[in-house]
Amino acid sequence: MNNIFAIAREEARLWLRSRLALGALLVFALLLTATSWMTANRMSHELAHRAGQQALAEETFLAQPDRHPHRMVHYGHYVFRAPPPLSIIDPGVDSVTGQSIFLEGHRQNTAMFADAGAGANLGGFEELTAALAYQLFVPLLLIAIGHGLVIREREENTLAPLLAQGVSGTALCAGKWLALAGVALALLLPLVVLAVAAVPASGEGLAGAGLVSLYALYLLIWCGLIVLVSTAVRSRALALGVLALCWLGAALIVPRMAVESASSAMPTPGKLQTDLRMQADLREVGDGHNAGAPQFRQLQANLLAQYEVDRVEDLPVNFRGVVAEVAEADLTEVMNRYAEERMALESRQARFAEAFGWLSPVVAVSSGSRALAGTDLATHHRFLREAEAVRFDFVQGLNRVHVEQLTYTDDINRSIDEASQRATRMSAENWNVLDEFAFQPASVDERFAHASAPFAMLLAWLLLLGGGGLVAAKRLRP
Amino acid sequence: MIGVNGLSREVGFLARDRAALLWLGIAVLIAGVSVALGLREIASQHAVLDDLRASDQAEREVVTDLYRDWGDVAYYTFHLTYDPPADFAFAALGQRDISPWKHNIRALALEGQIYETDAQNPDFALIGRFDFAFAASLLAPLLLILLLHDLRSGERAAGRFELLGATAASQGSPWFARAALRTGALALCLIAPLWIGGLSSGSGVSKLALASLVVALHIVFWWVVCALVDRAGWSSPVNLTALVGVWLALAVVVPTAIKVWVEAAVPLPDGGEIMLTQREAVNDAWDLPKPATMTPFIERHPEWADYVEVRQPFEWKWYYAFQQVGDQTVAPLSLAYRDGRARRDRLAGSLAWLAPPALAERSLQAIAGTGVAASLAYEQRVRDFHSALRNYYYPRLFREEPFTEASVASRPEFDALKRPEATTPPLRGTPP
Repeated sequence: MNNIFAIAREEARLWLRSRLALGALLVFALLLTATSWMTANRMSHELAHRAGQQALAEETFLAQPDRHPHRMVHYGHYVFRAPPPLSIIDPGVDSVTGQSIFLEGHRQNTAMFADAGAGANLGGFEELTAALAYQLFVPLLLIAIGHGLVIREREENTLAPLLAQGVSGTALCAGKWLALAGVALALLLPLVVLAVAAVPASGEGLAGAGLVSLYALYLLIWCGLIVLVSTAVRSRALALGVLALCWLGAALIVPRMAVESASSAMPTPGKLQTDLRMQADLREVGDGHNAGAPQFRQLQANLLAQYEVDRVEDLPVNFRGVVAEVAEADLTEVMNRYAEERMALESRQARFAEAFGWLSPVVAVSSGSRALAGTDLATHHRFLREAEAVRFDFVQGLNRVHVEQLTYTDDINRSIDEASQRATRMSAENWNVLDEFAFQPASVDERFAHASAPFAMLLAWLLLLGGGGLVAAKRLRP
Repeated sequence: MIGVNGLSREVGFLARDRAALLWLGIAVLIAGVSVALGLREIASQHAVLDDLRASDQAEREVVTDLYRDWGDVAYYTFHLTYDPPADFAFAALGQRDISPWKHNIRALALEGQIYETDAQNPDFALIGRFDFAFAASLLAPLLLILLLHDLRSGERAAGRFELLGATAASQGSPWFARAALRTGALALCLIAPLWIGGLSSGSGVSKLALASLVVALHIVFWWVVCALVDRAGWSSPVNLTALVGVWLALAVVVPTAIKVWVEAAVPLPDGGEIMLTQREAVNDAWDLPKPATMTPFIERHPEWADYVEVRQPFEWKWYYAFQQVGDQTVAPLSLAYRDGRARRDRLAGSLAWLAPPALAERSLQAIAGTGVAASLAYEQRVRDFHSALRNYYYPRLFREEPFTEASVASRPEFDALKRPEATTPPLRGTPP
């Protein structure tokens, strides 16, 4: 055991004396700090901005004057997806999905104004976030300083004496791995700072700790791979070539192949296609603006029978309001059915792509990181569902006002003159049917459940490379 | 500079260098796969458009039979607009993953409709596509680095450097020939699959040639970088580390810095503000006296000045007039939003010269018609079509013309092929 620490200490001493290693470390430390700061800064700005917009939208809705309740249904409302606290580490899909949805009667709109669509286009990576820097580029640094760990002993002819002195190959490799792991964990410092900064705001310390351990696990895998290659291969050039190939495949190629495979294995119709297919079903429900439509004749007959009257004018409720309410409920059922189908397909695509984590730890860590940070596809779907719930509640609340407070006779005569139009204006006090909206990501438990597959993949990688390293270390000969 | 013998000798060396053959093989594989995937994606976009066009047509026929009042017709009839992928789009999918290229539009206020996005799975947009532009701009430099980083240092380590230098006709030539051969081979490995895919899918030869030039120039740039680093006389591992560092700087760090700077230098109006302003303008109209709508309306459309009197609390012509006025109210913001995106794109285009991988990718997107300029141009076509729709409905609404089949038949249809070739979108005026 002492041997292992002595070897690790020696390695650290060498790095500190090598200008190249020290320079690379400093550059990376700077890069990570700058990126982390930038990501955190941008996301906390977004959080404040969207919270402000949300408050403004609610205020504006409540401040509307007296009017016909159905006008408020079309006036509509906005909800904003507040980024979760840990998005300061991994903004995930935040920039590629719209941040706000316009909610109105009879329609489910898409989220609008994704940052990515309006940003400066420089190709390549969508944006450099703290998460991406750790996922893609820290491994490069580890390769640069670590590929020669064991090979150097071979090149400098110190391997034979070391082994002859009774240092086992296993102890040597373990010491080297420990040294590299030390560097990797030290580089996690900016991430730890961000996680700690995010915690008090949310009380989700566990998720923050999970995120840090996910990245720690991930970097330890790279350390394991690097020491394994350095042990098994006899020349630096070959070791670098092999590691470069591994990085190229794991970081750049497999993630994108995962996307391509998922999109061709399970094609998902877009919103427009779904909407067009849905039209026939929606027509069957009927247009809620038109109480005379054939779809509502049965409803009318039932109501007349229920209240034992002959004319809709004599009903104690506003028939037009009842139609609006019933049609909204039926339409929503149809729209939700299609929306749920689409979301289920998208989730299946995401799971399919995630399974490529068995081929590349980069895919596993990025998927786990988004899940724990609450910035994954599931969270976006959660936002869409919550927005839909808000939409349905306020629209039906307004329809209730239409049913109960506005008489049918006033309602059908509203277009005769100004006076009769005024009679249909309901008090603005009714607009408080709108609930406050503050988007929250899923509970910490649920997020851990989503991240369990990526964690399992990373553990499998660590065990695999650890086992391989052990075998290579036992076989280490001068 | 080098004779036929010299060249054939170098080809022989290359043919026996297993590492070099591996990198070249990977290059062919990557380029081939990226081209095949790009072609598949474009085929599926065409299939989506075919499906949409068919449903759109069928849907419009159904709706046209349902309504006999021009107000209802205009309210309920949607029109599909779309931007079909150009023949070379397979090589650079560009903005098509994040910016909309299809919309369903009706004659209501356009500002409430044009920002809808019919996006793919967001996970895909986040990770990015495996298209040829990605292979050529990000992967190719890395492969070239792997091919060239140990040209001199490798020979030096093998103890042959002095010998080779002394026996060669001139000092630089064996290195130059070797590097030129490897660079050329890599370029060929990338470009050949592009031509095969391009020709088989009917892309224009001029676009393929232009794209090949972009790829070749980009690779030559990285050759120069490799040569400069190799001259420093470091060992191969140090060379490789330094070169990957340069790649990281030019492919990731500099583009990010440019992006951050451009987005700070050219602020955009907030999207949410555009929507809110538009909604307030449209909805307030219901409670305002009718002239408050009709007066600004006839400023834009003086030809309807004789028809602006609104007698009923609700009339369709007034309804559509306030939709138009809603758009007019938000026009300065909307124009600033479009102009800002165009300016960001132009600025990013100029600064991309600092980051050759970004420049290469942007150039390929420009050739493929998948850049920001193309998506702004599409947005402008949607706007033009929308105003054609309005101009079709206004006489029918204001003069209360009767509904006839012949009149419906003359309604404008969106024509995606009327594609202006201009790379910069025609913006009307500049924001304050």
